[in-house]
Amino acid sequence: MVNKKVSRRQFLNYTLTGVGGFMAAGMLMPMLRFAIDPALQVKAEGDFILTSQKIADLTDVPVRVDFTYEQVDAWYKSEVSEMAWVYKEGDRIVALSPVCKHLGCTVNWEGDRPNEYFCACHGGRYEKNGKNIPGTPPTGPLDEYEVSEKDGYLMLGKKIPNTLV
Amino acid sequence: MYFQVKDVQQYQQNKEFIDTAIVPLVYLDFAEDKMVKSSSDVEFLMSLTSFIEQQFKGRLMLIPPFSYTESTRSEQVVPILKKNIQEGGFKHVIFITCDHYWTNLQKEVDVIWLPAIPIESMDKDVKKRILEEQLKQVIPVLTSKWTQQ
Ligand code: FES
Repeated sequence: MVNKKVSRRQFLNYTLTGVGGFMAAGMLMPMLRFAIDPALQVKAEGDFILTSQKIADLTDVPVRVDFTYEQVDAWYKSEVSEMAWVYKEGDRIVALSPVCKHLGCTVNWEGDRPNEYFCACHGGRYEKNGKNIPGTPPTGPLDEYEVSEKDGYLMLGKKIPNTLV
Repeated sequence: MYFQVKDVQQYQQNKEFIDTAIVPLVYLDFAEDKMVKSSSDVEFLMSLTSFIEQQFKGRLMLIPPFSYTESTRSEQVVPILKKNIQEGGFKHVIFITCDHYWTNLQKEVDVIWLPAIPIESMDKDVKKRILEEQLKQVIPVLTSKWTQQ
């Protein structure tokens, strides 16, 4: 009978371990969820975002396509607006990121010279397919977006390194 | 660039390219009947300045807003702030505000004053268009600074 009695010290030990275990689980669980559940990860990482751009309206001249998605950064949710320069090259649709590969300003189509993208920040220039023009600050070509189509409308996916240059 | 570690480190390595600081001057009014309007003005200015940041990320740094109430608003402070920021290596310091008060200071510091537009109730596309229109007011100021020398 004496042996079965839980001493005060043992009691404390049990309860404290219990609390500690419970707290650890509380901390781990959200981390695990982030590690395994892709749906909880930052959007635009894998899935495509539908735009309001009709595929049929695209030509060989780049047009601006705006799109937004939700980004979750720790506890802070925000809506991110991005855009792409989109044109048709034969049957292929090309969507380029407007983010200048020098220091990240937004480039404009024919902002300075015909048939080129121009970055107003330090005069960066790119050809239509995103190839940076030597002698200007950018050191690489504009990134590309993965493209897809849904009911005749353009969908944009992950940013990937330029495949055209 | 934003005033955050990653961007500041990049700034320090590229000082010759990132030569402009943008400082929002934000008026806060806590009076019962003015607080909503005050927050609406702030929302507009914050949206606009982050849009400016997105367009000109590689050339400017958006400084966290300098906020004040009517009794802490002081003409002396802003030129000092400008001086301090310049000491950090920024050639151009441009203040941007919806508060008319600062237009008096235009001789001493560069101030862009814009009338606040209540964008909080607008839908995404309208909001975007408005911000683009407003950006067009700001671009000439930036480019005139940038082509000065
Ligand atoms: S950020 Fe485009 S040229 Fe410098």
